[in-house]
Amino acid sequence: MRRAGRGFDPNNKKYIGGLLITPIQLLLTALLIFPFVLELILSFSEWSPVQGIGLWEAVGEVFTEDLSQGINYNILITEEPRFLEALGRTALISVTSLILEFLIGLGLATLFLKAFPAKRVFFTALLTPMMIMPVVVGYTWYMLLQYTGPVNQVIGWIGGGQPDLQWLNNGFLAFFAVVITEVWHWTPLFFLILLSGLNAVPQNPIRAATVLGASDWRIFWTVVMPSMKGIIIIAFVIRGMEVIKLFDEIYLLTRGGPGTATETISLYLYKLAFEDFRLAYAGSAGFIILILTVVLINVMLKPIRYQLLEKR
Amino acid sequence: MPPKKFTWYNGIGLTLALIFALFPVFWMVSTSFKPSNEWVKQPPVWISGNATVENYLTILWPSVLLEKRGGLTQYTEEGEQKVAETTGVGGAVGDILIKSAWQAIWGSIIISVFATALSIIVGLMAALSISRYRFGGNTTPFFILSGRMFPPIAIAIPFVVMFSDVGATDTYWGLILAYAAVTVPFSTWMLKSFIDDLPKEIEEAAMMDGLSRWMAHVKITIPLIKGGIIATTLFILILNWSEFLFALILTYTKVATIPVQLAKYFSATEGALYGVQAALATVSIVPLVIIGFFIQKHLVRGLTLGAIKR
Repeated sequence: MRRAGRGFDPNNKKYIGGLLITPIQLLLTALLIFPFVLELILSFSEWSPVQGIGLWEAVGEVFTEDLSQGINYNILITEEPRFLEALGRTALISVTSLILEFLIGLGLATLFLKAFPAKRVFFTALLTPMMIMPVVVGYTWYMLLQYTGPVNQVIGWIGGGQPDLQWLNNGFLAFFAVVITEVWHWTPLFFLILLSGLNAVPQNPIRAATVLGASDWRIFWTVVMPSMKGIIIIAFVIRGMEVIKLFDEIYLLTRGGPGTATETISLYLYKLAFEDFRLAYAGSAGFIILILTVVLINVMLKPIRYQLLEKR
Repeated sequence: MPPKKFTWYNGIGLTLALIFALFPVFWMVSTSFKPSNEWVKQPPVWISGNATVENYLTILWPSVLLEKRGGLTQYTEEGEQKVAETTGVGGAVGDILIKSAWQAIWGSIIISVFATALSIIVGLMAALSISRYRFGGNTTPFFILSGRMFPPIAIAIPFVVMFSDVGATDTYWGLILAYAAVTVPFSTWMLKSFIDDLPKEIEEAAMMDGLSRWMAHVKITIPLIKGGIIATTLFILILNWSEFLFALILTYTKVATIPVQLAKYFSATEGALYGVQAALATVSIVPLVIIGFFIQKHLVRGLTLGAIKR
């Protein structure tokens, strides 16, 4: 039954669409956009709870008082070496582990194109790491990488003698500890995505190439890889989006240490805010990181925007 | 590619990958059954000869264990001291050890169930709006997704202050709202991909037969994507169960979740309670592995925001 009048028709397409989207907009506005705006304002203040000033007073001060100090903060933060180092380190950890995950995942995926017994069981077993929660992953690797732990024991068996590898206390090794943990946790996702990509590669060009006498290697690079391009980009973007937020595993594994050797942007912000209580400063840093990541990921999403939205 | 023969070096590769994937899990489970004198033995003990369920008793019924060890019957100031002595680690341990992990397990269950329900309801509405009404064109879906892009710690400070102003820190409902906000981008995108798969014509036919738009969605669309909704629910449940950061910054004493409890054991003892922590970790991943097994074929879709459908 249609009711008279324009604005009141509950069956109007626009009305329904708007109504259905309202809850999510409310939820995200209250819990993500609002804090985001607060943080922007705070980054111009000198607020610290130690001074006994509440957040709202601090926000008020920003609008009434001289802004030069806050602006200084925003500029200074980009000059603080620890901040820049954390940014660079996050990039390095992300790139290293994504490449390793891609290579191992691709190797495994090509393996699973072949026929072998109990394939289903192996498949399920290989996906296990992905299901485990990050905190547990961090703690498990913490146990494994102890000086007297099984990893060093196995290295000792292979190399002979007890290896002198302080995985979690040596800056250089701790970096690898983080990368290994991340690779262990998320290689299964690359494997899963790449396998579904390989299964969707059209068969006819491959048969044609085989008939024409092309080698397997050549077929792989000239026929298989080009048709996998889209899916490879998706895998990198989706994982990239998560890996730059890396926090839970490192929090248990090294707490960003030794020193700041494994301090990613998330850990840096956490320490700044909840250990050093430099809130306004952390606000500035958080705000800059927010802008950086959203811009970066939107750029990364560009090539797959169409794929994500197709079939609408 | 046509199936090639499985060679011996393929076999070696597969075996190595399997060891790499499963050894840490094996180690965690095995450690959870080791008595305390084997936790840091040199050389490490792989499978304990005197396996024990003591660690599990410690996390679930601390009092049972403590009584068995003699002494402690009530949790007094001295009692806590004694616990610390019996376990052979530093002072703060008593505090945490005495507290049963049931609070954390219960907290995890309550919070993840309600947060998942909220996330799915809100996400389903948004998915319908985006998929069927194209509300907000291409901007809205990506606006929703951007909620998942930045590190959540970047808004942690205003978040904590805002929550404590309205009295939502250290409460179940506060965490439920926070968790739902973090997972709703995933539920929206995953459900949207299931609705996209469903031809519009089915609903249109129902409307021709006299159903209103609302009823067409309730009676036709939702029942037809039931499988998808279940898969999405389980997927979001995994995400909520694993969430750590918000529980870390928003809880103090009244509310706990398993990941936070694990981290608390860890910071109190510098990670030295290996067996106890491994026991809690093992308890916490059992539901994840079971759920993960059931939604295996939908995992790719969930984790790639519906971009890959198989």
